[in-house]
Amino acid sequence: MSAQPVRVLVVDDSALMRKLIPQILSTDSAIEVVGTAMDGNFGLKKIEELKPQVITLDLEMPGMGGLDMLREIMCRHRLPVIVVSSHSTQGASVTLQALSLGAFDFVAKPTDVASRMQESGQELIAKIKAAAQSRGIQITSALPEPVKRLKAQSVSNRQANRIIAIGVSTGGPQSLQYVLSQLPADFPGSIVVVQHMPEGFTEMFARRLNECSALSIKEAQSGDVLHGGRVLICPGSKHLKVKRLPLGDVAVLSDEARVNGHRPSADVLFKSVAEEFGSQAVGVIMTGMGDDGAHALGLIKAAGGMTIAQSEQSCVVFGMPKAAIERGHAMRIVDLKQMSSTLRAICSERIDSERAMRAAND
Amino acid sequence: MSPFRHDPGEEMRELFFETSQELLQSLNDDALKLEKSPQDVEVVRSIRRTVHTLKGDAAACGFKELSGLAHQLEDALAIEGIVAPGALVELSFKAADVFDEMLKAYREHRPLPDTSEIGRMSQNLVPASTSSRRKPKDARNKVLPVSWTEHEQKSANAAQESGQRIFHVIAHIDQLCSMPIAARQLVTSALGAIAQVLGVRPETGSAENAKKLDLLIATAASETDIVSKCLIPTVISRVEYFEIALSGQSTKVVAPLSVGEASLADSPVIEYPSSEDKHSTAVELPSADSATQSNRPALPENILRVDAERIDDVLNLVGELIIAKSMLQQTMQEFARRYPKDALRPRFSDAMGFQSRVLNDLQRSVMKIRMVPVEQLFRRFPRIVHDAAKRCGKQVQLALRGQDTDLDKGLLDAIAEPLTHIVRNAVSHGIESPSQREKVGKNPAGTIQLNAYHQANQLIVEVIDDGSGIDAAKIKAKALKANLISTEVAERMTTQEIFDLIFRPGFSTADEITEISGRGVGLDVVHSVLMRMKGTIETETDLGQGTTFRLKLPLTLAIIQALMFRIEHRLYAIPLNAVAEIARAWQADLHHVDGTEVLQLRNQVLPLVRVGERRISDRDPSKEKIFVLVLTYGERKLGLIVDALEGEEELVIKALDDQTVASDLVSSASILGDGRVVLIMNLAAVMDRFVRGGTDLSQSGLFSRARQDNHSAEVRQ
Repeated sequence: MSAQPVRVLVVDDSALMRKLIPQILSTDSAIEVVGTAMDGNFGLKKIEELKPQVITLDLEMPGMGGLDMLREIMCRHRLPVIVVSSHSTQGASVTLQALSLGAFDFVAKPTDVASRMQESGQELIAKIKAAAQSRGIQITSALPEPVKRLKAQSVSNRQANRIIAIGVSTGGPQSLQYVLSQLPADFPGSIVVVQHMPEGFTEMFARRLNECSALSIKEAQSGDVLHGGRVLICPGSKHLKVKRLPLGDVAVLSDEARVNGHRPSADVLFKSVAEEFGSQAVGVIMTGMGDDGAHALGLIKAAGGMTIAQSEQSCVVFGMPKAAIERGHAMRIVDLKQMSSTLRAICSERIDSERAMRAAND
Repeated sequence: MSPFRHDPGEEMRELFFETSQELLQSLNDDALKLEKSPQDVEVVRSIRRTVHTLKGDAAACGFKELSGLAHQLEDALAIEGIVAPGALVELSFKAADVFDEMLKAYREHRPLPDTSEIGRMSQNLVPASTSSRRKPKDARNKVLPVSWTEHEQKSANAAQESGQRIFHVIAHIDQLCSMPIAARQLVTSALGAIAQVLGVRPETGSAENAKKLDLLIATAASETDIVSKCLIPTVISRVEYFEIALSGQSTKVVAPLSVGEASLADSPVIEYPSSEDKHSTAVELPSADSATQSNRPALPENILRVDAERIDDVLNLVGELIIAKSMLQQTMQEFARRYPKDALRPRFSDAMGFQSRVLNDLQRSVMKIRMVPVEQLFRRFPRIVHDAAKRCGKQVQLALRGQDTDLDKGLLDAIAEPLTHIVRNAVSHGIESPSQREKVGKNPAGTIQLNAYHQANQLIVEVIDDGSGIDAAKIKAKALKANLISTEVAERMTTQEIFDLIFRPGFSTADEITEISGRGVGLDVVHSVLMRMKGTIETETDLGQGTTFRLKLPLTLAIIQALMFRIEHRLYAIPLNAVAEIARAWQADLHHVDGTEVLQLRNQVLPLVRVGERRISDRDPSKEKIFVLVLTYGERKLGLIVDALEGEEELVIKALDDQTVASDLVSSASILGDGRVVLIMNLAAVMDRFVRGGTDLSQSGLFSRARQDNHSAEVRQ
């Protein structure tokens, strides 16, 4: 890590935020706010002028809005952009659009800063540092256009043969979209996903994913059945667990305390998947900061399931997969491009071996 | 955490209170724009963006209620195809008001105002079909169909296949039951004895304080059994049930049987979420692309927010510098007198000239910092007029002119209220009702025009209406009745003087006068504020055609160009722009009319004011020359008799507190280069005093007799 502080440009149309965000960032000496701008036009000028390394961007601005500015940054400067977004339905939609345009990550607008300055600041500071270190991997170019795919029919009848639990954080939206859009409608496994994302964003996130995948993707609700070809995304600020019931396997949401500072936490999901499904479980740990999920991935491995970590060169932030690999919990290290084919292979393997066993029994 | 730690939130809240005012203003502006062009989507977007920013800022400061309300509003605004743009206009106005009240409440730590109306209004904004698409979270408290989870449905299907009947039972918990959560458990376990409970809402263990319990049961028992099991006295007051026939995902609601008092004709239809495809009808939002260019003028980015006090400090120091300059100039003159041949002299004066040029520029620059366009003041008026017109049931158009005229910020703040007053009066009393206007052949919609422009170091703000005008005779009659003026005075009054009566304190309070004359509520306040600001107000009216109020104000309160003169050996100054001319007259030219000294000046009779004692000269009065300053104040002219003129100077005004000078005839003081103190006369007060009684101001407390006696000897030297 360089001794030079990370140069940050804050772009926001609210005068309050232009003061507040630098104030929050000034608590960390490794970050230096080099300037602020009140809309996209000024922001782009300041990028030329001040050469920041990371940009925090508000999306709702008069004049040149955030998305336009983001497009410009992506094609001209290729700088990591952290979207500072607000909680609202349309806020979530635009934020996710920004992520698919190549924004590095997003944080929710700080709330009640007076009493929670530390808390609201930490996330942003951590993400800025991660962004500064990221090698600017652009997976957007590889992303397929969202197309209406033929949806899996009568999903409800297909019992899943494998439960694939995915834990992912920074860089996740793009990476997940990439993987899920390449899985076919008749994918036999059922997928449960913990994506670190605040409440209010996950529903829209699931909808967007659903639009560009043949799989049936939705935000999980308690009691949702895990079918083959179905993807359940854990809602923000809930934990997702799975449960085997006589009539089918279901998702269970809980309000338990944060784990590793996260809710949802991949550790919680992996642990429950390991306990309930044992060797039928597949744990996948993908791009993201920190080490959430690294521990419980080991439980899946121990229970006889398959564990996969995303490869370093394909990660936006090689944090969580690194932690899992370092602990020896990852049985395979897979590139993002090979992720979907690997998952398909694992699921069909299982079917083949079951058939073989059935055939042998006959 | 130490309680003594500097609170960063405090500073931020202050900033929020400040920035939020701008947001509210732009909300008002946009609402007005929308009123004019209801189909303009850009304006709606701009409103939404403003509300959005407000929401984010409020949340950051921890003002949850404000943030929540803004969120609610933002969501309502996000729905495309808003049914009633008119409702949106009203909602925006209302919202701006409520937000403002909330901000005030936060600032003063008062309880928050009621915001339910906004909620209602924003609900009305959204067509019913759209609102049903809202998240179930918002509708949690309403009587809405309960949705069972996939697993519960699956269990129901399985139970039905095994020959059981599926019921949705709704048990209403008795109003008087003190333990609703325990009651829920009681019912669940009672039903559990005869049926398989597949699902319960609210879920077991939830702390939700619901007044009813929804159960999904599979049973072989009869309906009567279910009801009798559920009806636990004092706990459950009423039970409803529906038999559900599950065929695939479709739901058939069997005619419900009601037990208890209520009929179930309007009972909710149970609706099962068919699949996640339902989500695909999500409202797609207009993206904030370049087309979203708002026509809010882009503020220059390099704006610095500086406390006005700091600028005042700089201005004060500049003032001191100007004093220092004149000190230097005087020393220079002294030097020049003593050493007229010294070679240093021209170099001194060059340096001095340069210095004073820079100083002038400096002063102008600093003054400019304080200057803001009148637009900042004017932009609140569309809203004020809109509201006032609405309240009075009138149609009023507002025209603004000269918004970019600059004005001292302090002055702007000071005249905001008086101007508001005048404009409100113009709407409520000046402009006639539409029917009246039509009767006299005018456009039913009245026009109020606000004009601002600079004129000879003064700012002029005009409020022009095309209403009924003011009837001078009626004012006179009322003033007589209220004993404000005597009959003989009344007879001699000019029309202008009569109009000035409406600014007199006694005049404004009487309600019946308001009704007749049409104006007068609190106009004395207007007058007193203007006096304090060294401004004047003129009234022009054309009966039946309209009224013009013209406010004249000095551009700044800090530095004035003044004419200095002596009376009784004391130095006074008066703002130069009030001096129309300086006349010299022989003592013999003065006449007395009705106890007032007058001077005939070019066929005009000029009333004179004498400050201080009349000089008793041994010389022939016809030979003695006097100076008369012809002062204008508003429409009025007055001659001030002075002993000697001292010249013109730029004076830096220093405020005087009440203890220093007991009279309002002097408004402030200044220090000259040689250290002398000059008192600056308050022209408005002098005029006022003159109008109210007599021309001899020597009795006023300002000019202490004892001191004058001392001086008189010197004067007569």
